[in-house]
Amino acid sequence: MPELDELETRLVGLTETDIQRGLEVFRSKLKAAEASYLNSCVHCGLCADSCHYHRMDSTLENIPAHKLELISSVFKRNFTAMGRIAPGLVGAKPFNREMAKAWVDAVFGRCSLCGRCSVNCTIGIALPRIFRAARAALGTMGLVPTDLQATVDNSLKHGNNMAVTKDDWVETVQWIEEELQTETGDPGAKIPLDKQGAKVLFTVNPREPKFFPLSLLASAKVFWAAREDWTLASDNGWDLTNYGLFNCNDEQAGAITQNLVDAMERLGCQTLVIGECGHGYGAARWEGPEWLRKSYPFEVKSILELMDEYLRAGRIRLDSSKNPIPVTLHDPCNLVRHGGICEAQRRVLRQAVDSFIEMTPNREHNFCCGGGGGQLAMARYKQRRIRSGGMKAKQIRESGAKIVVAPCHNCIDQLMELNKEYKLNVQIKTVAEMVADALVLDA
Amino acid sequence: MTTLHLGVLLAIAWAVLTMTFLHLKAKSYGIRKLYSKPAGDPAKGVVYAFTLGMAPWAKESVMMNLPSYGAGLAFHAGVLTALGLLPVAAFRLELPSFVLFSVRLFTLAGVVGGFVLLMKRLVNPQLRGLSCPDDFVSNILGSTFALLAFAWTLSPVAEVPWMAEAMLLLIYAPLGKIRHCLFFFTTRYHLGAFFGRRGTFPPGGRFHA
Repeated sequence: MPELDELETRLVGLTETDIQRGLEVFRSKLKAAEASYLNSCVHCGLCADSCHYHRMDSTLENIPAHKLELISSVFKRNFTAMGRIAPGLVGAKPFNREMAKAWVDAVFGRCSLCGRCSVNCTIGIALPRIFRAARAALGTMGLVPTDLQATVDNSLKHGNNMAVTKDDWVETVQWIEEELQTETGDPGAKIPLDKQGAKVLFTVNPREPKFFPLSLLASAKVFWAAREDWTLASDNGWDLTNYGLFNCNDEQAGAITQNLVDAMERLGCQTLVIGECGHGYGAARWEGPEWLRKSYPFEVKSILELMDEYLRAGRIRLDSSKNPIPVTLHDPCNLVRHGGICEAQRRVLRQAVDSFIEMTPNREHNFCCGGGGGQLAMARYKQRRIRSGGMKAKQIRESGAKIVVAPCHNCIDQLMELNKEYKLNVQIKTVAEMVADALVLDA
Repeated sequence: MTTLHLGVLLAIAWAVLTMTFLHLKAKSYGIRKLYSKPAGDPAKGVVYAFTLGMAPWAKESVMMNLPSYGAGLAFHAGVLTALGLLPVAAFRLELPSFVLFSVRLFTLAGVVGGFVLLMKRLVNPQLRGLSCPDDFVSNILGSTFALLAFAWTLSPVAEVPWMAEAMLLLIYAPLGKIRHCLFFFTTRYHLGAFFGRRGTFPPGGRFHA
């Protein structure tokens, strides 16, 4: 495992200056809320089974409070009086090479930043906020797993995280446009590129042009049916993903967000619409303005909200009998628990399918699929990722549904692997795909 | 008021001042200026976090661990009742019999709750692994405090050790994890504001379908 060796090498090569710099960055990420969180944990351990890692592998290392303790022990040692006076009593520990290694394992290798522990903590500690500060500190020390950092670097260098060239992107869009015309029977059906002054700038996950063109076709079909005034950007600003949310380098994350802001300004659009992607929505809608330290002069919406609006306004009509197979819904953590979009996708699906079955638990209590937090980009933790996804597999199986709808392409990748690993025998689709299939097209 | 009571008063003053200092220190980290447009009302999130969000049915973690949750509630009720009893002892107040009965019930429940939690921490390997000496010290101080308060309701002989124990507890409170008596409130406030702003709290759903 060369990746393991590389990270180990970087750990061994850590200098005192690296460690001090890591501590400084960690401290700089803490505000009053985080300082409160770091003073609050009572080690009750009730959070243990709220974590999908612990639920599938019941070890001490997988308890959220243990992961938090690794970080709060360093906080106590360096930033509290009692941690300096009586470290043994309060569990304060120095930040050194061994601790840095433990942090990497905990915050990159055993956490998808899903935040399920936050809503289950008896005190109310928002643990991912602390883990993000720790990831930022590790990043400063060069300890972000290489493949995760490579995804961020791709976005910074190429404007999208899969290094899709502009020519490839434009060609794919043109090909999907032809498909759209065939499917709708409307030779005038368009997928506009760089349409100046369009109301909506639509953004997608690069997985769509690369691996799932039918997802983009479905979204385009919905826009066509709703007669939306929309466009895609041909250059930087079409990719909604932002793995800066996961390496927690705010500067890099801000630079990626800036692509979207620039595209909105360049094209003069009013609403930035984020395609079906949990972390993309979280990054663009919630974290982007914080990274850039400014409010957007435009609105940000998920395509789920937009489809919900179309249905409410009667801009599209659906025939649920076109989707007769039982459907269940996965709630991506960054879209639902951390994103606040809980009901729009449900309202849409109830009109788009004959039989909609909720997973248990759901909404803000839903389990992470295991692919969040950048896990899909960190090959070294693949086994843990697949194992931790066992909770999601169990939820899907118990729902009895034959189609799993996941409004997130990262989740879809993980669910496809879970489908194979746990022999779930289900189809996995996006909400837009279900809506596109149920559309009642005017004659 | 005896010298012992004065000692307790000074310990209370220490606890209050030190907790205030801790609170101010945490606040000195600064409030994060937020630029994203809110989707919900942070205030509603805070209200939810302190009300229905604390209900057992709002947390799967609690529903899965009801005995531990119950022991925790009993423990806290016992310690808080014992704290409330301090001025009664200091000012030699007479308690109506039904209040006295309740005090005995709560403090005894606190002792039992504390003992159960202590045993769980000792016996459960994962919980033991999660613990540091402070966890045990804090539990023992709290449990003993409730036990001596209970004993005092039965016999005034227990007053001296109870007051001494009260001083220890109050002096230790800001130094170890008992500081969560302050940070519980600030943490819950921040959690509620965070999820309230994002429109997740108050929730539209429950963990059961």
